[in-house]
Amino acid sequence: MSSTPVSESLLSLEGVSRVYGEEVLVHALRDVWLDIRAGEFLSIVGPSGSGKSTMLGLLGVLDLPTSGSIRIQGTEVNTLPDAERSRLRGEAIGFVFQQFHLVPHLTALGNVETALLYRNLSRKERRRRSLEALEKVDLVHRADHRPIQMSGGEQQRTAIARAIVTEPLVVLADEPTGALDTQNASNVMEIFAGLRSPERAVCIVTHDLEVAAATGRRISMLDGEIVSDESQVAVS
Amino acid sequence: MRRFGELIGVAVAGLTARKVRTLLILLGPILGVAAIVAAIGINESSKGDLKAKLRELGTDLIVANAQDAIGGFGADPRIPEEAAARVARLPDVTSVTGTLQLSNIVTLPFAAAEDYYRAFPVPIIATHLNLPTTMDVPLVSGRFLNGFDEASASRVAVIGRDLANEYGYIANEARSIQLGGVNYGVVGVLDYVLLEPSMDSAVFITFANAVEDWDVDDPDPTRLYIRAPTNTRYVAEEIPTVVSLGGPDGANTKVPTDLLDAQSQVDENLNNLTKMMGGLALVVGGVGIANVMSISVIQRSSEIGIRRALGHSRGTIAFQFLIEALVIGVMGGILGAGVGAGVVWMVSEMRDYTMILSVSGLFRWASVSVGVAVVAGLYPSTKAARLEPLETLRLG
Repeated sequence: MSSTPVSESLLSLEGVSRVYGEEVLVHALRDVWLDIRAGEFLSIVGPSGSGKSTMLGLLGVLDLPTSGSIRIQGTEVNTLPDAERSRLRGEAIGFVFQQFHLVPHLTALGNVETALLYRNLSRKERRRRSLEALEKVDLVHRADHRPIQMSGGEQQRTAIARAIVTEPLVVLADEPTGALDTQNASNVMEIFAGLRSPERAVCIVTHDLEVAAATGRRISMLDGEIVSDESQVAVS
Repeated sequence: MRRFGELIGVAVAGLTARKVRTLLILLGPILGVAAIVAAIGINESSKGDLKAKLRELGTDLIVANAQDAIGGFGADPRIPEEAAARVARLPDVTSVTGTLQLSNIVTLPFAAAEDYYRAFPVPIIATHLNLPTTMDVPLVSGRFLNGFDEASASRVAVIGRDLANEYGYIANEARSIQLGGVNYGVVGVLDYVLLEPSMDSAVFITFANAVEDWDVDDPDPTRLYIRAPTNTRYVAEEIPTVVSLGGPDGANTKVPTDLLDAQSQVDENLNNLTKMMGGLALVVGGVGIANVMSISVIQRSSEIGIRRALGHSRGTIAFQFLIEALVIGVMGGILGAGVGAGVVWMVSEMRDYTMILSVSGLFRWASVSVGVAVVAGLYPSTKAARLEPLETLRLG
């Protein structure tokens, strides 16, 4: 796997803390500083309860920090109103989840098209771009199938197509291979590696060290803090 | 606009994906609207014949009967010619006809029938010449009394349609009838007078004949028929004053269609009760929509979470669910109005009613359904918008 030059900061957490609860406080994240740059393929690892999912939610602006800032290409997003924050999230970040989270009554094509709604695109343009995204994950032949008619691997590839159809700056994946068999997991990781580009970063949250070994940067977490952040030679 | 189209597409896709649930939600507004439309429609249609008859008759005929202004006992009140002329000059009046009913004259189709017709007297009415115009009734055959008949006191008569049938009168035949032993030539037959059925079995002669043959001393009418297409009721109220002008002559008036009009009025109490019941059904339907949609929001929390992750704002999510409610309201309203109209048609066919269905009423009740559905959708849509995506997506 060749390394890609790293450049501008796409997504950063600046002194971010996240505390849950009112009477009993749970410090899920403590004063985290993280910078994700274009071209990076990184993983966030840690045991259960280490705060990696909380961090993914904050990186994806699905959640707001108790303190600190989240910046997308330098713009502080946690202070923006919901509509603006949602628009930025839709444009800058693509999500892939362990449980795929496809809309069950939509076809693969319909699920991918969902990411392009409300962007003032014609139906024809939405369809064209969605088919292109499906082609990148080799699923055009399943475009008219619903999730229930597809295997787990195909569903995850559909989810990846949905994540990349908007051409996001960062792809955030939460345990993307967790629900897949070894073969499908390997295929999915290959796709993730291929998503990296000079303009884009790919970030995978996992507890699987093999998956983490395939990335070029590994961030280890424990008790809501980053305990190590190291570059590594990716092992495919 | 494109955004709105996309929202409708998403809402319709969400509804069609769960057909049974959607059908169950739809039942509320459908039943509510159908119940109101059907009940009001059947109520209206049951009066449809009367309403149709009223339209045919018109409601602008006034009848003024002479009465002594001071109510003297045993008087034989009349409406003087000049008083009738004053009535005719009223701005809203288009036609006035005076009549005088004669009494104690035996009318016979032929001499041998005397015994029978002495027991069943036929009314003889002396009339002004414009009676068919004022009553808006054509002649079945022949002609009505004319100026020549009046000027020359010709012994000619026009008979009512029932009498013509009873006498076996053949249209345009040369025939005479005996009025108190005097032969009169029948020159025409007047069609049915729906507003004054007694005329159907009457004989009409000129006032000149009444004076010449029957020694009527005062050839003034006892009754005026007045057409006033505008301000009918106002004119009816004014006529007694116009007739009397403070003098001894007087008149009381009535509008013959008033009773029919009253009968044709739909029972408003029943209608209001129906509307209340239907409204209640719609409210229950609305509660059903709110309830089922709230459950649906929970069931679809993952979908809501992923849409939020894909960049849809809370407002967009709320709007999506609100549009689902709107679509339910529109579909429920249209289907309910259709079902209600179908029930009205079916009952009208079975009961032989004249079907009356207000199109504006259909729109009105369908709109109420839309309103109820949108209000009912407010809670679940707000609930959907408030869901935290992180909780619904169950990360890691």
